[in-house]
This record gives sequence, structure tokens and C-alpha cells, in this order.
Amino acid sequence: MAETKRDVPRVIPEHFNPPVASEVVEVDGHPYLQTNEGMFTFYKRTKGEFSAYFLGLRDEAKIYGIKCPQCGTVRVPPFALMCPDCDFAQMESVEMPDRGVMNSTPPITYFAHSLFQSWVPFGRGRVVLDGADTALPIHVYTTQGVLTPFIFEKGTPVKVVFRDERQGKPTDIFAVPMAELAPEQQAKSPLLESDLDFSEPPEPVLGEATDEDRAAFARAVEMLKELSAGVDASPRARHNLAGWRRLIEVKTAAGGLVLKIDDGSLEVAEGRRTEPADFVMLCAEPQLLVDWMTFKEALTNAIITGRLWISINREFTTIFKLDRLPRSVHRDMQARG
Amino acid sequence: MRRVGIVGAGITPCKSHWMERTYYGLSQMAVKACLEDAATSVKDVDAVVYGIYNDIFELAAIPEHPLHGIIGMTNKPGMRVTNGGATGAYAMLAAYTFIASGLYDTVLALGVERATDCFDFESMTETPEVIKTIGWSADTFFERELGWTASDSYAEVVLAYMDDHPGDLKPEVSARIAEILCQQAKNNAFAQRRDEVVTAEMAMSSRYVVYPFKLLEMCVYSEGAGAVLFASEDKAKAIARNAGLPVVWVTGLGASNEHHVAGPDYKTHKYMGRIWSDHIASHKAYEMAGVKDPLEEIQVVELHDAFIKQLQITMGEMGFVPIGKTDALIEEEIMTPGGKLLVNPSGGLTFGGHFVGGSNMFSCWSARRELIQRQLERGLVHGTGSTVAQYGVAMVLERSE
Repeated sequence: MAETKRDVPRVIPEHFNPPVASEVVEVDGHPYLQTNEGMFTFYKRTKGEFSAYFLGLRDEAKIYGIKCPQCGTVRVPPFALMCPDCDFAQMESVEMPDRGVMNSTPPITYFAHSLFQSWVPFGRGRVVLDGADTALPIHVYTTQGVLTPFIFEKGTPVKVVFRDERQGKPTDIFAVPMAELAPEQQAKSPLLESDLDFSEPPEPVLGEATDEDRAAFARAVEMLKELSAGVDASPRARHNLAGWRRLIEVKTAAGGLVLKIDDGSLEVAEGRRTEPADFVMLCAEPQLLVDWMTFKEALTNAIITGRLWISINREFTTIFKLDRLPRSVHRDMQARG
Repeated sequence: MRRVGIVGAGITPCKSHWMERTYYGLSQMAVKACLEDAATSVKDVDAVVYGIYNDIFELAAIPEHPLHGIIGMTNKPGMRVTNGGATGAYAMLAAYTFIASGLYDTVLALGVERATDCFDFESMTETPEVIKTIGWSADTFFERELGWTASDSYAEVVLAYMDDHPGDLKPEVSARIAEILCQQAKNNAFAQRRDEVVTAEMAMSSRYVVYPFKLLEMCVYSEGAGAVLFASEDKAKAIARNAGLPVVWVTGLGASNEHHVAGPDYKTHKYMGRIWSDHIASHKAYEMAGVKDPLEEIQVVELHDAFIKQLQITMGEMGFVPIGKTDALIEEEIMTPGGKLLVNPSGGLTFGGHFVGGSNMFSCWSARRELIQRQLERGLVHGTGSTVAQYGVAMVLERSE
């Protein structure tokens, strides 16, 4: 019988399920009926011949590959039992090391759909483990703040890290740059997620402020205060920040300020924080803040291009919410006339 | 093998969402347009090949079965092809083969796809659900759960290419190509983004969707349908005579599917920095058609531009520019207005539209139109698809009076 306790994680989360409903949409004066529908099938799906690999991840914190006794090719993950290049010769399981190099520069996903929203930003790369001939698909992360496209590249040495709680899935492991690890972490096998510290990465160094920077900072502070007032008057903007609470320390070459998001409101204060911030936003050029509020640059784009750094990777979601504010405020102002 | 020609083609307008038609209605529209173009009747069509990529988009397994009767093909053979983004090209390859083999004389290739019926009720927008739907296309044991998307999959290939060729794919070149395709879409009454103005500067400054792909340098989601009518030599000549249009002969066809797992050698696995499927498919097609130097012998290319930077690599793979120097497309004015080669005169999938199962029919429709209207001799139609650009198809077309 299916588990019915409400707090058990669901294959399809409850909130994904829309209500039964229909509506009429008019196009060029003609009515068209549309209905809420879904296409869903549940499975008890076997991992079959891949079971040993996934059980290895889950129960042993080990990575297994498969080696052809004829051509010697080592395939990781072990995606076939027989070698297609040697007339389907039976291959043998081999234990692999937890280190290797990036096969190529990996893409970074910043804008994910609902199933993967909680992970962003994440890199989906491929690592050639030492001794392997094929590349293992794997998430890549950095311990040094937000993930950007410039951290991993072809040939970057990496270490595979095991999650503390594993389920026998590809997400049980991820890779980090070997250069970010202490020697004892590099040597440890398995290295667990809890062995790493993601909380206080070293901050990029800010340069000397120019006169332009100082002027831009003053303008940014003024505009942020206007934005704060605008959020209070904008249902869209309040909705953007609904249920969200964050204290953000913003640092620029020309000075710092604090942003406080509190369930639909945005407060701005100049200077340094007096209580621990949830994360740091750091941009050398305060002009970026002006550009964001004048629709010239998205903060999310600034992260991708390296103009903006944040200390905690998962706080990209907060940046995404901030990005929406100027436009929401503007749209509601227009609606009010 | 028997000689095979194209004698008719028709498409629907490409729209981000067709509220007014289901995929049944879109299919009827495209078939009707195609048969009117050929001035022939569906009664004279022997068989049909359906190109429909993704069951989830159509909310139906066997999505072609309700189409068969309503397009007038009752009791005749019909077969569905589904091959990712290259679905349409593979469907046309199947239609060609039906005729070349001698089995049938006239075969319709019909491609159709929905997309934006899919809807994300959290963000109250379509796009995340469309991305999720395509996401089920990835390897479901080792990759899908890592958050695979079509965009990041092609980005992976382009980034690997950039690892090997850091001086190529300059941002200003990709942006200029976007501008050119936007301008060319204005000559296509069916183009989804016909009324848009995108300059190179706008493309350059548009936001990244996934690095290095920018919003204005990638294809759109579309809904629509396209149909192409293939015929054996005698039938083709008779239909063409009746329609008053020249036959466009299929003189070369090639296809290739790479391995989906990355490795160092393209012969046994996917070499990530190349699109060997496009290379192999196009060169097989050239060999069959007797093309020795594509840049000198082909005048129009309709290429599956899922992403502009992928368009550049594909043009390299197909031999129009050297791999590693694909910026020559712009820097040596090969595809600029008045250049040697007409590339995606329809606006391509970027500005014309991308209804997946029929996008390659859309490309074929455009290439044929250009060959006839501009009195060109030879064209090339291309399709790419699946994870990491695994699938490639190329078809050489030649016009004869």
C-alpha cells in the first residue's frame, strides 16, 4: 500500500499539481476552450544492470567503472555490460579513483525549470576519472562562492565529493576543483560534503574607488531608497519578495550598504551590518547597481559575466528575486498611471 | 535506387502558441498547402511519413494515429519517425527511401509539433514546462537527474569547441549573424519573429540564458506544421508539368548518429568539441550528389540553427568554412547580404520558428522556394538533434527545369 503520511517526499510534489479548471480564451473575436491537464505515469523502475554502480555510490561511497578485457577501454559510468567495439565481449567491473580532470568546459545552469530550481546555479560537467576512457556526467560546484562559467575548464583537476545522505542517484556525487582543497581533503577517500566548508569563502579584492565610482555609489543608494519605497507601493514587487527573508551585505569599491528583505519589503541602510548577514554581494563598480535599476543590466547576468560576486551559491535565487523588482515596480507604476 | 524529386511543400505560420488550432488542425493546414502547391490530390499520394518529436508535447502516445484519416490517407501506409530535433529530416529521409526503393511513387512527409500547451503553474508561464518536457529526452539513468536541458547540452558542445578553438566564435560575429537572420525573416511571411527588429548590438547585449548562449542568439519555441511531397521520377515530372513548377531533385542524402557518451575518440564515443554527425552526414550527402567543393557548388543552405554558435560550427563541419575559423562566415562576408552563400533565408529556426517535428520541413520548404524563385542550382537542408548534437542529417537539393 502506498505511503500516505503527508510529510513523506513525493515523486511529484503536491504543489506542482494544478486544480481542475478550464477557461475560454478569445483570439480575434473567437472563443477557444482550454483545460488544465497533465500527463503522468508512476514507475517502480529497475536500475537493472546499473544497480551495482548506483549501490556503490549509495552504500560504499565508491565509483565503479567497467573494463573491456579485449581492448582495455574503461567506461565510467558503466553504461554497458558488453563492449560494443569488441563484438560484445563481457566486461569486468573495476573500482575507480575519486579524482580526474574535466573533459571540457562545463555549462552552468542558472535558470532551471521547477524540478531543478532549488539547485541553481549548478554545473553539469563530465569528468574523466584517472584511468578512465569515457567521461562521467556529474554536477560541479565551487566552495568559493557563486558558480561562474570561468571556474572550470577543460583539463581542470577535480575531486569527486560524496553527499552525506545518498540515495543511489547521479546527484549523490559532485566535483569540486582540486585546487580549492587542502592537502588532507585531497587525500581523503571518500571525501564527504560535510568535510567541506562553503560558508565563508574568500572574497574577491576590491580596487581603489574612482570619482566615478563614488558618484555612482551615491546615486545607487538614492535609487535603492526609491526602489524600497516603490516595492511598498507595488503588489507585483511585494509578491516577488513574499515569504523571503534575507540580510545582504553589499560591498563596492566606493562603499557598502545593507539590504534587508523581509517578507514583501526591501529596506536599505548605508554602512556595514550590525548583525550577521546571510550573504555578501560584491561588485567592484557601484555603477552595476544603477544599471540594474535602470534596466540596463540584470544582476543575474552580472553574475554570469563576473561583474557581481555573491558568497553563497544558492543565494542566486535571492538575486533572481531582486532582479525582478525594478520591472515590477515600473509596471505597477504604469498601471496606476 | 530510383531518382526522387520534391514536387510540393507547404507550411503553416509559425506561432509561439496556436490557440486557434490543435495539432490535428495544423496538420490539415500544412497538407492542404502542400498539395495545392503541387496542384495534386491526396488521392494520388501513396504513403505518409509523420515527423513528431515528443509525445508529451502532443499529450498523446501514438500522436500520429488521429492524423491519418483526417489528412485523407485512410487505408494507406503511414509511419511515424521521432529523432529529437532531427525528426523532420529523418522523416524526409524515410519518405525518400520509400520512393527510391521502388515501394511507392508519391510520399508525403508531414511534420507537426505543439510546445506551449505545456504550462508551468508555479511561474504561470509556458517556458519552464517546455524546458522540462524536452528534459525527458536526456539519458534517464545518468544525465536527466543532473538537470539536463537542450540548451545546456548544446552549450556543452560549443564550450568544448571553444576549448579547442579559443579564437573562434567571437561574440560580435554571432551577434551579426543574428542580425542577418532577423533581416532575412522579413522575407518569410510565415516567420514567427517577422516583425521583430534585432540588431547586432541588441544581440550582443542580450542576457545569457546559458553561457555562451544569449537570448537573442538562439531558436524560439514554436507550434506549427510543414509538409513536403516527394515523388518518383516519372510521377515528379508529371506533377511538376501540371503544377508549372520545376522538380527539385534530392541528389544527396546523409545521416549520422554519434555516441551519447563523451570520450576522446569520435569513432567510438562523442568527441565533445566537434559535431561529427553533421560532418559525416553532409559529406555522405556530397559524395552521393557529386559535390566536391560545397562553397563553390551550393548556393543556398537551410541549416538547423538551434543556436547561432552551433550554426557556425555546423557550417564548419559541412565544409563551408574551416573548423576553428568559422567567424569567416562574417569576416570574409560569406553569408553577409550579397555574399557567396545564402544561409537561412527563411530567418532560420532562430527567427523563422522551430516546431520541432516539422522544423526541417520548414527548412526544406524554404530551400526549395529559394531554388525556384532565385533560379539557383543547388541547395542544402540540414537537421540536428538529440543530446550533445548527436544526430545529423543533410540533404542536397537540385533544381531542374
